[in-house]
Amino acid sequence: MNDEMEVGILLVEDNQTDAELAIRALKKHNLANGLFWVKDGAEALDFLFKRGVYAERMTEPNPCVILLDLRLPKVDGLEVLRVIKIDERTKLIPVVVLTSSTQDQDMVESYKLGVNSFVSKPVEFGAFMKTVAELGLYWLLINRKPKQ
Amino acid sequence: MKPVMTYSGTSTERDLEIDARAYAEAMLNILADFSEEKTHLHDTQRAILNILDDANDEAAQLRTTQRAMINILEDVDAETNERKKSEQQVRELNRSLEARVVQRTAALTAAIKDLEGFSYSVSHDLRAPLRAIDGFSRILLEDYAVKLDDEGRRLMNVVRDNTAKMARLIDDILAFTRAGRSELALVDNDMAALVRTCWEELKPAMGGRQVRYEMGTLPPVRADRAALRQVLINLLSNAVKFTRPRQQAMIEIGGRSEGGENIYYVKDNGAGFDMQYAHKLFSVFQRLHGQDEFEGTGIGLAIVKRIIDKHGGRVWAEGRINEGAIFYFALPNASLDEGEQP
Repeated sequence: MNDEMEVGILLVEDNQTDAELAIRALKKHNLANGLFWVKDGAEALDFLFKRGVYAERMTEPNPCVILLDLRLPKVDGLEVLRVIKIDERTKLIPVVVLTSSTQDQDMVESYKLGVNSFVSKPVEFGAFMKTVAELGLYWLLINRKPKQ
Repeated sequence: MKPVMTYSGTSTERDLEIDARAYAEAMLNILADFSEEKTHLHDTQRAILNILDDANDEAAQLRTTQRAMINILEDVDAETNERKKSEQQVRELNRSLEARVVQRTAALTAAIKDLEGFSYSVSHDLRAPLRAIDGFSRILLEDYAVKLDDEGRRLMNVVRDNTAKMARLIDDILAFTRAGRSELALVDNDMAALVRTCWEELKPAMGGRQVRYEMGTLPPVRADRAALRQVLINLLSNAVKFTRPRQQAMIEIGGRSEGGENIYYVKDNGAGFDMQYAHKLFSVFQRLHGQDEFEGTGIGLAIVKRIIDKHGGRVWAEGRINEGAIFYFALPNASLDEGEQP
C-alpha cells in the first residue's frame, strides 16, 4: 500500500475497522497489491487529482477501481462520485459504491451520477468478507477497462 | 181615562172650579209622567254609565293583555338572540377544536416520523460496530487458534453467538420500522398467484418434512404488493416453523369476501398458543414460546399487524395449546380499478 506502484484499488472508507476487514479480505485473495486507502472524500479527490498532500504523487495510471463509501467526512461520497464522473481525467475509472446505507434514494442518486456498481455492505462479517473478495476478483480480474 | 178638559165660553164658578181641578189633575199627571220619565232617564243614564264602565274595564283588560303579549314577544326575541349567540359560540368552538385537532395530528405525525427516523438511524449505526465485534472475534479465532484452548474457543463463540443475535434483533427493528414508513403503492393483487410464489420460496426450508398443504379460494385484493408478500411470508413461515414437532404438518390458507372486506386465514396444526395471551401475539418482541422451543425474535407478527393496520384492515388469531392456530387478516374490499394490472 504505497504510492510508488500502480494503484490497484483505491479504497475510500472512513471506518477504521471496515477498512481493516476489507483489506484483510482482499489480501487473502492476493488482490491488495497497489491498494491505496484514504479516509475521507477530500483526501480521495486530492489523491485522484494530485492535489494537496498528494501533489507529489508520481504520475501513474489511475486506480483500476475505486471502492467508495458514501458516508464520508469533509466531502461526502456522492459529491466525490459526481466530481469523478464529470472530470475528463477520471470519468473512465470504474466506481463501486460500497456502503452501509440502505436508502433507496442513495442508490438512485448514485446511478444518476454514473456509478458503475452499487453494493450494500453485508452486516454479517463472513458475508462482508466474501462480498469484498468477490468485488476485488471481478473488478480487477474479470472486468476490462480502457487504458489511459 | 180622565175626561179631557175643555174650555167653553161663559162658565159658572162651579164650572171654573171643575176646570181648575181638572187642570190641576192634568198638570199633576203630566208632572207624574214627567217624573217617571225622569226616573227612566236616570235609569237609562245609569245603564249607559254602567256600560261605559264595563267598556272601560274591557279596554283596561285589553291593554293588559296587549302588554302581556308584547312581553312574550320580547322574551321570544331575547331567546332567539340567545340561541343565535349560543349557536355562534358552538360554531366557533367547533372551528377552534378542529384547528387544534389538525395541529395535534400534525405534531403527532411529526413525532412518529422522528421516532421512526431515530430507530432507523440507531439500528443502522449499531450495525457497523457489530460487524467489527463479530469480525474481529472471528479473526482472533482464525489467527490465534493454536494459542487458544477449548475454553478460550468456547468463550469466543459465546461472543459471536450473541453478536449474531444482536444483529438479528437490529435487522428486525429495521424491518419493523420500514414496514411502517413507506407509502403504500396500491395495486390489484392476484392473491392465489402471490401465495403460490411465497409457498415456493418457503419449500426449501421444509426439506424432508411431511407437509400437507391446502390452498382454498383466495379472492383478489387491492394492496401494496411488497407489503402483502411480507405478510404472507411471515404467516406461512410461522406455520412452517410451529408445525415442526408434528409428524405430518398441516397448513391451510384461504379467504372469502364478506361485507366490504376480504378475510384471509392461515391455519396450521402446530404448537398453537394459549388464548389468554392472544393480545400479546402481535406486539413487538413478545413471544409465547422460549428460544429453545422455537427460534425467533417475536417481530414477524408485529410486522404483519403494522402492515395490515396501514392498509386499514385488521388482524386476529385463534389457537389452542398443542392443537394448532388460525391467523386471520382482513383487508378492505375496494372495487378493482380498470386499467391496473394484477
